[in-house]
Amino acid sequence: MTEPLLSVRGVNRTFGSGPAAVHALRDISFDVEPGTMVALVGRSGSGKTTLLNVIGGLDRPDAGTVVVDGLDVTGLDEDGRSQLRRDKVSYVFQTFGLIPVLSAAENVGVPLRLARADPAERERRVNLLLDLVGLAGHAQQRPGELSGGQQQRVAIARALAASPRLLIADEPTGQLDAETGLAVMGLLRGVVESEGVTAVVATHDPVMMALADRVVRISDGRVDAC
Amino acid sequence: MLTLVARRARAHWPLLAALLTILVVGATLLGTSTLLVTRTSERAVEVSAARADPDDVTVTAYIGAVAARNAGSVATDSRDVLVTAVAPFTATTTTRASGALRTLPMAGESDGVQGGGYLSAIEDLPARAALVSGRWPRAGTTEAAVLQSTARLLGLKAGARVQLGPELGRDANAPVEVTVVAVVRPLPDTGWDRDPLGGAGFDPDPPESTSARQIHAYGPFLVDLDTLLSGRNALSRIEVTARPDLSAPTERGLDELTASLLGANRKLEGTLGERVEIQRVSSPLPQLLLDARDQQQLTSGAVLALALIGLVLTAIALTLAGRLTTGVRTNEFNLLAALGTSRGQFTAVAATEAGAIAALAVVLSVPLSSLLFAGLTRLPPLSGAGLGAPVTVTGTQVLVVAAGAVALAALHVLLSTRPAADPGDRRRHRELLARSGLDLLLVALAAVGWWQLRAQPAGAGSRADAVRILAPALILVAGSALLLRALPPLLRAAERLATRSRGFTFSLATAGAARRPQALAAGLLICLGAAAATFGTAFGSTWHTSQREQADLSVGTDLAVSLTTAPVTGQSARVAAATGGTISPVAKQNIVVGQWLGGPDTAPQLVAVDTRRADALLRGRVEADGGWAGVTRTLVPAAPVTGVALPEGASLAVTGTATGDRPIAVTPHLMLQDDTGLRTTCDGDPVALNGRPHAVTGCVPISGLRLVGVTLSVLGESGIQHLSAIDATVTLPEPPAADWTVRSAAPESNQLSDPKVRADGTRLGLSAVVSFADTTPSSRVLVATAFADPGPIPVVVSRQFATEVGAERGSEITFAVDQTPVDATIAAVVAEVPSVPGGAALLADVDSLSRALAVRGNVDSPVTAWWVGHPVRTDLGDLRLGTVTTRTGEAERLTGSPLRASFPAVLRVLVVAAVVLLLGGVLLQVTCDMQLRAVEVARLRGLGVSRRGIRAALLGEQGAVVLPLLAAGAGVGALTTWLVAPLLIRSDTGAAAVPAAIAHWPWAGELLLLAVLAGACALAAGAAVVIQVSRADAAHLRVAS
Repeated sequence: MTEPLLSVRGVNRTFGSGPAAVHALRDISFDVEPGTMVALVGRSGSGKTTLLNVIGGLDRPDAGTVVVDGLDVTGLDEDGRSQLRRDKVSYVFQTFGLIPVLSAAENVGVPLRLARADPAERERRVNLLLDLVGLAGHAQQRPGELSGGQQQRVAIARALAASPRLLIADEPTGQLDAETGLAVMGLLRGVVESEGVTAVVATHDPVMMALADRVVRISDGRVDAC
Repeated sequence: MLTLVARRARAHWPLLAALLTILVVGATLLGTSTLLVTRTSERAVEVSAARADPDDVTVTAYIGAVAARNAGSVATDSRDVLVTAVAPFTATTTTRASGALRTLPMAGESDGVQGGGYLSAIEDLPARAALVSGRWPRAGTTEAAVLQSTARLLGLKAGARVQLGPELGRDANAPVEVTVVAVVRPLPDTGWDRDPLGGAGFDPDPPESTSARQIHAYGPFLVDLDTLLSGRNALSRIEVTARPDLSAPTERGLDELTASLLGANRKLEGTLGERVEIQRVSSPLPQLLLDARDQQQLTSGAVLALALIGLVLTAIALTLAGRLTTGVRTNEFNLLAALGTSRGQFTAVAATEAGAIAALAVVLSVPLSSLLFAGLTRLPPLSGAGLGAPVTVTGTQVLVVAAGAVALAALHVLLSTRPAADPGDRRRHRELLARSGLDLLLVALAAVGWWQLRAQPAGAGSRADAVRILAPALILVAGSALLLRALPPLLRAAERLATRSRGFTFSLATAGAARRPQALAAGLLICLGAAAATFGTAFGSTWHTSQREQADLSVGTDLAVSLTTAPVTGQSARVAAATGGTISPVAKQNIVVGQWLGGPDTAPQLVAVDTRRADALLRGRVEADGGWAGVTRTLVPAAPVTGVALPEGASLAVTGTATGDRPIAVTPHLMLQDDTGLRTTCDGDPVALNGRPHAVTGCVPISGLRLVGVTLSVLGESGIQHLSAIDATVTLPEPPAADWTVRSAAPESNQLSDPKVRADGTRLGLSAVVSFADTTPSSRVLVATAFADPGPIPVVVSRQFATEVGAERGSEITFAVDQTPVDATIAAVVAEVPSVPGGAALLADVDSLSRALAVRGNVDSPVTAWWVGHPVRTDLGDLRLGTVTTRTGEAERLTGSPLRASFPAVLRVLVVAAVVLLLGGVLLQVTCDMQLRAVEVARLRGLGVSRRGIRAALLGEQGAVVLPLLAAGAGVGALTTWLVAPLLIRSDTGAAAVPAAIAHWPWAGELLLLAVLAGACALAAGAAVVIQVSRADAAHLRVAS
């Protein structure tokens, strides 16, 4: 049996304390096999983003463990978690998260710079990824000069730049129209297959759920169904 | 709407607080400047008048040739005219008058010359003379006091009765008789120079004699004023002096006084009418007050120029704050616009907010500016200038503060109603490019302003004008705007470099710095703030240095004593003991060069000092290598004059014979030299050449004197064809050297031939064949000296002198000192001669000058002053030698003058305001930037960038913008100082500074300023970045889903 790339066990996360405490995650447990795409669905406020942040090491659970590619994320210090995000985990944000002053190519190159890649190798990889997401002709344009769909494709290319083991996408089509969203979903599905990357995607979109290998439903911080 | 404004204000209070702070700083600066150019400026003229030298506030009526019957009424009317002229100020008056020259029977006739005497009256005689014997004359009597010298010459003692015969000239009044009750000694510097005989007590040929014949004049016989004005004496002159009490003047009163004094001459003329032949009112006071007004206006202009720089800085800071506010409110603006809010409604909201801030700013700025003003006036230099003022609020101040706050608030409204730019929008660069026109316009205006400053006249009377006020601010802004243009290419170059690097931090920092217009928006404020602070610091230093240099050149030495009377033997020892410094006798007087007399106030001047001690003595900027010692090296005489040493109390004897049957006498003049090189002359009584010895006594009162010259004025009946061979011997205490030389003082007259000198044991013999054809006594003067004729003496001349006479190095000139011609060779041309700033002057060695004069028979000391280098003590009041001036005192007068003290004070305020506004702007910029980029920071964390990496990138980005801007600002400040400061600095008369001011860099101060600015900016940016990066996790990392 294949080892899961992501293993979430008994994760709890509470914000605040006392009567005003919000239990964002309650005893969450599930596994994700390598090379699969998992759709994380649930209503707004159900805890999807909190769970993604815990998985990516942006937040720490109150209890439980998260293991990514054999690495216990919850046991890492801040530097370790930063290292995790540089080497194994990549994010695709709902609002694209591009750096406004950098061009599309420069945004894609950020993870490679963080990894101190050779400039020539970096350029080759950036061109390849922009070509992959269909934006080879927009390499020098800045985010403000690109459409929402194009920006999200740049974000996906950036997420793939450092060849992550796990790609986390939080509502990647949330700010896109249906047609563009569909194209981005197709792209995500495509890169999971072509790059062999594992993806956890938080979404409300039924099409995205349909494209996923598996759907994990969360309600009130609990896993309803896998 | 009010609810929206109030709630938004609560939400954005830090931003609004920053806006309010900037507005308050600007308005406070305006209010303080207003008080300085109104309150302090008015007060400065008043204090300046109150502190003026007593001699400068006197008003004197000079009246000449008054008939006896009019004497009383003329004196009374003149006094009334002056008292009226100085109204509204009360005045004390003093009158001195001299009667016409009368015959003096008791003096008899000497050599066929009649004796004469005159009466005088001085109202405050006990303050001007010391009683030697007897008692002061009583009022209403014919009792008189006589000077010591007069008493000695006439053999007068207290109790002697003196008959003064009828007046010489037409309408002679009857003889008068006075009883001498006092013998007095004139006190120096008490106005004896205005006595007909200069307080000497005797003149063998007074210049004012109305008689066609030569008169030996004695006097004055000092009587009570009422006695002199009783109607029995014609007056040769009356002087009425009024001293207005200016201890508590008002500006209006001073204006009235100026106008009244300018018309006083006409009024006196109208009042006295035909009763007098000559009348004139003279006073330096009106010019003093007019100069004070000019100086006050110049200072006010400079204060306004500095305030304008502060105001421009405030406006730029406010612009930045407005843009940042707009940026923070972009979402709100877009939402309200989407909801249909009109431009008018946006303007109304912005105006309400700005109005409230402006009102609050006025409420705070008025008392703050009053407090700052009062505080400034309690600090040097204003406090030292007597301009201390209580906390005060004036209507003008409130109006200016309110107007400034409203204008700045209006600017804020204008900015608030414009949509913010997108940080990543490349159109911003195009917009910047489009502003090139404005930049170029600014540069053009700055160039015009600078050119006009350069073209301003060098003379006095350059009042404050718009160019002087606007030019510094224009040049600073234009320079900053221009250099700001250079920053983006630099950053883009750095960015290109970073693109090729592997790492992330440098790349992100340079990309952020090069591509974010928001960072550059603060650029102008940072650049201009640094420029203004640098300019303020360097300008202050340049101004102070220029004042010191002006003082150095103006005084010419460390301490100068201008003698009111000729120097006397032994004076050098007293001056040396009193000062403890290196001393030199100095001849400083007007000269005639060839036929050139110079203008009324621009007569060429001679300055002769002991050039062997030039380094210790001479002050003032000199360009030549080796300083003044190097310049004057060629002026130093080859060898000192040794002469014959004379022990204290030594007595010399003169014996002589003359051929022929006519009586011939000689008057010996002994030229004595002391240790400092001071040469004085001791005049002996006429000695009949009859073979009998005549002692010359009283010439060696101290030790250390040397006899360096002997002149014999040959006396005898003249105008006849008669030759006589004379032979005179001076018996000395020690044998003279064999190198004495002899000559006729006026060889061109051919009255002395075959002059010889011989040293024989302790005797010095002089002989010549004398002709008596010429009636001029000075044609028969035999001069023997212990030095040879120096020939043309080397001199250094000022550039002005060289220009005026068309001379250059190597030119030979002849100038006259007291009508004695001196040949000279120009050894060098320098910019200025010490103590004659801007004038045509020549510098010579006092020893060489004295030798050159002596060989032409002029053995009168040319010395008019003492100069002292490195004095230990400067208080020479007890010596009563004359006016004492020190260069440190002069520098203090120039820098601490009430008319100028506002300038350095406001410079300080400008530097502080520039630093505060700059730092406030940087803090505001960084804080807003960090707020706007909070999500971006969180994203970077999401991408795996460590906090350290983000901090480094953000600080690098801020540093990449701020540090070059600080450096550029310092460069602009330095450039502006170099271009403008020397042109703005004027002398205390309003004329161009002499020597010309040159930019002076206070390196330590400037480096400290830049270090403080860089450190504070780093601290502000660092704090904002650290706080924002640490908040990124908690506040922004949660991605909404």
